[in-house]
Amino acid sequence: MAIPQDLFYAKTHEWVSLDGDIATVGITDFAQSQLSDLTFVELPDVGTEFNAGDEAAVVESVKAAADVYAPLSGEVVDVNPNLEDNPELINLDPFGKGWLFKMRVNNESEVDGMMDAESYEELCPEA
Amino acid sequence: MNAWSVSFKHPVRYQAGLDMQRRLLQARQDGAIPDTVLVLQHTPVVTLGNRGRDNYLLKTEDEYRALGIELFHAERGGDVTFHGPGQWVLYPILHLGGNEADSHGYLSNLEEIAIRTLSDYGILGFRREGKSGAWTDAGKIAAIGFRLKKWVSFHGMSFNVENDLSGFQTIVPCGLVGEPVATLRTILGPACPSMEQVRDSLLSHFSTVCGRNLERFASDGDMPEALGRLVRP
Repeated sequence: MAIPQDLFYAKTHEWVSLDGDIATVGITDFAQSQLSDLTFVELPDVGTEFNAGDEAAVVESVKAAADVYAPLSGEVVDVNPNLEDNPELINLDPFGKGWLFKMRVNNESEVDGMMDAESYEELCPEA
Repeated sequence: MNAWSVSFKHPVRYQAGLDMQRRLLQARQDGAIPDTVLVLQHTPVVTLGNRGRDNYLLKTEDEYRALGIELFHAERGGDVTFHGPGQWVLYPILHLGGNEADSHGYLSNLEEIAIRTLSDYGILGFRREGKSGAWTDAGKIAAIGFRLKKWVSFHGMSFNVENDLSGFQTIVPCGLVGEPVATLRTILGPACPSMEQVRDSLLSHFSTVCGRNLERFASDGDMPEALGRLVRP
């Protein structure tokens, strides 16, 4: 199970990469593996404001639906345009081409409350 | 890892089952209860999943009402299905992703529970590539559809034991055209085990496959007060 070192993680299996005040958000390899082949993704509208922990997106496989939560507070500034036609990108490349949305975060230090790769690995089941 | 199960003797209406699941989901997210599995039968109902399409319904709302079948749009994954007496429904309210037991994936675990239960009665069950659920040579016998909120599962799996299959004739099950549906009764005839036996098989395999020791309760028997408040309206 891949867990990149340079990302931040939420207990609900989202990852964040922070560049200045722009956070890119996706779901982890563990999360995509639990859901199997994704067939549909419901993304937030650009401009939507979230508090950390708000329901932000829904990912669905043939038989499962899972809510995705905003890991940080802020405004959605971009969503992954490729997921509508190719939701399987999340399965194939969860930490790369399968990113879900980008937010302009209100407070960059909020990320201090998230886990690093090491802590997240402890939370995840053994593969 | 310990978990609770609650079994219901009498069929439960879909809405009442959903209300119970929502209360358990909240309590599980809050850490107020351990993982808990409901095992019950529903009164006749047709449910559509999130992406469920109305064109898989073969009757009008009025016709369903006249047949005594309720109609629900459920917030789970999966497509249209039918529930009714004689079919066990397993609603596991599990916190996933926090222990070693879930490494093979929850969906696969649910399928495995159905396949092992079939094996208890000498029936070969199998998965089908690209489709979820459990199948036999006679047709599909277990259907799966679930949702995760904060990585706690609700909804789950139904397993046909001795239900009247006419309910399935009012829909295109899971949107699969021309696919037969089977029950233990249609396969085994008079050798079909009792509902109680099948329930015990399902729970016992749940315990092994999902790696959770089950403390079993009956809806009309003694149970922890915290649980009683959630499953008794």
